[in-house]
Amino acid sequence: MTSTRLGLFGLFFLSVILFGFWLEEENPHKTEDGRIIIEYWDKWSGAEREAMQELVDEFNRSQDEIYVKFLSVSNITRKIMLATAGGMPPDLAGVWAADLPVFATQGALTPLDAYALEYGIAPSDYLPSIWRQLVVHDHLWGLPTTPATNALHWNKDLFRQAGLDPERPPHTIAELEAYNERITQFDDQGRILVLGHLPTEPGWWSANWSFWFGGDVWNGHDTLTADSEANRAAMNWIASYPERFGPKPLLGFRQLSGVFASPENPFFRGRVAMVLQGPWMYNFIQNFAPEDFNWGVAPFPALRLEDYGTSLVETDCIVIPRGAQHPELAMAFLDWLQQPEQLERLCLGQLKFSPLAEVSPDFYRKHPNPHIRIYRELAESPLARSRPQILTFNEFSSDMGSVIDNLVRGEQSPAEALQELQARQAALFDRKHTQWEKVSNARLKEWSSQ
Amino acid sequence: MTKYEKRRLRLGLLFISPWIAGFILLSLYPLLSSAYFSLTDYSVLSKPVFTGLDNYHMLMEDKLFWQSIWNTVFFAALSVPINLITAIFLAVLLNFNLPGKKVFRTLYFLPSLVPMVCLGVLWQWMLNGQIGLINQMLSPFCEAVNAVLGTAISPPNWLADPAYAKLGLVLASMWGVGNATVIFLAGLQDVPRSLYEAAELDGCNFWQKTRHVTLPIISPVIYFNGIMGLIGSFQVFAVPYVMTNGGEGPGRSLLFTATYIFNKGFQAWSMGYACAIALILFLIILTLTLLATYASERHVYYAGK
Amino acid sequence: MTARTAKRVQTLCIYTALVLGAVVFVIPFAWMISTSLKPLNETMSLPPRWIPSVVQWQNYPEAIEQMKLFWRYTGNTLYLCAMTVIGTVASSALAAYGFSRIEWRGRDKVFILVLATMMIPFPVIMVPLYTLFRELGWIGGFKPLWVPSFFAGAFNVFLLRQFFLTLPKELSEAARIDGASEWQIFLHIILPLAKPALIVVALFQFMATWNDFLGPLIYLTDQSDFTLALGLQAYQSKEGGTDWHYLMAASTLVVLPVVILFFFTQRYFVEGIAATGGKS
Repeated sequence: MTSTRLGLFGLFFLSVILFGFWLEEENPHKTEDGRIIIEYWDKWSGAEREAMQELVDEFNRSQDEIYVKFLSVSNITRKIMLATAGGMPPDLAGVWAADLPVFATQGALTPLDAYALEYGIAPSDYLPSIWRQLVVHDHLWGLPTTPATNALHWNKDLFRQAGLDPERPPHTIAELEAYNERITQFDDQGRILVLGHLPTEPGWWSANWSFWFGGDVWNGHDTLTADSEANRAAMNWIASYPERFGPKPLLGFRQLSGVFASPENPFFRGRVAMVLQGPWMYNFIQNFAPEDFNWGVAPFPALRLEDYGTSLVETDCIVIPRGAQHPELAMAFLDWLQQPEQLERLCLGQLKFSPLAEVSPDFYRKHPNPHIRIYRELAESPLARSRPQILTFNEFSSDMGSVIDNLVRGEQSPAEALQELQARQAALFDRKHTQWEKVSNARLKEWSSQ
Repeated sequence: MTKYEKRRLRLGLLFISPWIAGFILLSLYPLLSSAYFSLTDYSVLSKPVFTGLDNYHMLMEDKLFWQSIWNTVFFAALSVPINLITAIFLAVLLNFNLPGKKVFRTLYFLPSLVPMVCLGVLWQWMLNGQIGLINQMLSPFCEAVNAVLGTAISPPNWLADPAYAKLGLVLASMWGVGNATVIFLAGLQDVPRSLYEAAELDGCNFWQKTRHVTLPIISPVIYFNGIMGLIGSFQVFAVPYVMTNGGEGPGRSLLFTATYIFNKGFQAWSMGYACAIALILFLIILTLTLLATYASERHVYYAGK
Repeated sequence: MTARTAKRVQTLCIYTALVLGAVVFVIPFAWMISTSLKPLNETMSLPPRWIPSVVQWQNYPEAIEQMKLFWRYTGNTLYLCAMTVIGTVASSALAAYGFSRIEWRGRDKVFILVLATMMIPFPVIMVPLYTLFRELGWIGGFKPLWVPSFFAGAFNVFLLRQFFLTLPKELSEAARIDGASEWQIFLHIILPLAKPALIVVALFQFMATWNDFLGPLIYLTDQSDFTLALGLQAYQSKEGGTDWHYLMAASTLVVLPVVILFFFTQRYFVEGIAATGGKS
């Protein structure tokens, strides 16, 4: 009796395992009609995913050789890292151009130079400010999908209420601060009701303020310069906020900023008049701002008037990881996607501007965002900037975020904060840079021979 | 070893064989791998390059690492005892035979079921210095104190103030006490009713019964929840992550060692360094667990030993 | 004060404490449900708005529709839950028995290893684990998500061991004298008595699998294999905002079965002993 029970227990245990193994099939490498499956992972979710899915479906319908299997999850970097480490990366992966320097120098990507030649893809087809982000150490690593620039977004009603011309945004930092003084209001208990501008609202580009102060945070080659004149000027500017408005009122004000993607966003609620933002603001305003929300877009003010028109250009892009099973077929899809018709549809679907040099006349007519041309002009401008191609950018950026938070709380002086940061980050930067130099000759040779 | 001992050994190993297989494949192998990675420069994207003790040398001078250790120790020292006592207290209350006890038990367990994204937003509101629920409750109290003593205290800015951020996190983590409470509840069922009856005959009141009957009987479960709390709080990650939207808190007051490991491994492309930190953290937790086990040995009562 | 009034006062005190605590503990859930019934622009208000201006029941069907494969994801999740619960309960009960009711040399030292496996921070073992599953050819399938549960996870072994240790030694000894084998003692004496703990383990494993986000994110490579927790990201987009009302509606749908499960199973682990006669 008991041995039967024991047997049953073991049998049950085993049969569950066998059942699982039997139920789950191996992932096929070909579709039922014999097409080769191309794995394509991207980082979009929600509406952005839908826009890409439509294009993928259309491509698949037109094909009898290739089937693109599109997978989209929001936290994609970790998935790509692990898959690369495991030696089975997808055939195509959507990443941020800012990640290319690390991926490329670590040998995780296939250089696309030869393919670009084969398919007739030339730098002149794209905006220079976008193309140069796809090139690391003179090799091409990805092709762009949807780009963005950042710009000043201002609330016209708040301008009007403060007696400012709602159609004339500030051009220089001095002007911005003059406007700021006009717009900012306190209540009788010393709390801030409305603020003209605050660098931490929302403060997404902590590492790049130096752009509008006419500089950068590295020498473009081998040295990190977080304490450069421009970055120091930027940090002094940020440190002036607690001096002028008081750290306590600022802290109280910041605590009332709700979730960014919600009606509590201080910009939508008319609590901040000017913010540094990008083309996605249109979607958020549609979803969360009051219906009569009256806003404009213009270049963000610069320290010197000659730098007015500076912006940070960013782009999503698609790469072929090293070790991809079918790089040629992946490239066929990528080339199809780069055709103006497809790329413009993708950018329209994701409400961005086109990365291509030529834009079809229809594009702006179809585009729902009335300000889309301004973002595009910023990317066309010779003043357009891109993220420094440094291997420690993520760490640098979060460290700068910490510094700025300290400055706004009035806890540290800019000079002291930057000195500490420079010491720490320069050490990390030098370490990564030395590591790269050890392997650079071999890598460069390998890339050129492909 | 006697023949009998050998048989017991074989039998014991047979019973734990599923664990042994899992231990070798799913724990030992990954642990040894990461111990090796800690001696290398490893970005995950390319092959590790052996660098000896480099990572450990760097660790010693890494101010952020030491800060993260301090934050973690501070948080654990506060949250482990507070959560343990709260869980026992709740379990004892929920174990009373009252009408509606099922509903109460479910209610106390609910926060453990709500998805993290939702909790993050809520915590940020509850701990908000201006309009948060907690400060709304505290401010009349502060005003009363001010009126009497003539002071000017006001409720803290919790998450925005480096001095209070960890305390705020401890408060927030108390919402997750439901898991431990459920385990205590299950443990309380093991207390034989006859012991209570005997105690009642001896004229023990409720607290005496709790102290002399309930607690000793459930001491193995207290040990369990204590050790799990220790292990869990030293690896605290998800709660501060959603509360700071992936940041490090004001003045890095919410930079915990597990956060630092994650950032180094998956954002800074320094998996080798992350592994070195992880190994140190592992040794710290192991030492503390052994100490706790040793210290509690005399106080844990096992009927089955 | 008579004994009866004293009893009443005590009951009243307990009730007051329980109600006050319950109000705090119910906030997240109540907020989730209220948000799931709001129009999008009323979500996330500061301080929270508890009663929506219009109750939008249609958020629920709309949320299901927007996730597209909602039922498919539910099926996948339930499959994984079933597999991991079976695997966990069976394997950890066995291992816990070996760590508590059988005495063998070095047992308690080996048990320290059980505890030690929980102390390794997860980020650093992700790479080796992924490599292992890749060698086995399991990436892209469900196996990395459920097979490990058949190898007795440390948390569950530890929990069950503690419970097994509270059962008096005499139970086993009496059975041994009657000539019962270890297997028989395990199956007939210990398991029935440890039912509350086994159900706790099953419930926790169910919840862990049900809510697991990281595992499916890493190992699955096909949109139709997703689980519900992974599917929830359909409502979040970096550049279009989050459809909070749908996210909460779907979350409520996802959580509700667990709440119901909890409500109805608590009888078994809280009152289980009394019902089966117990040991006294």
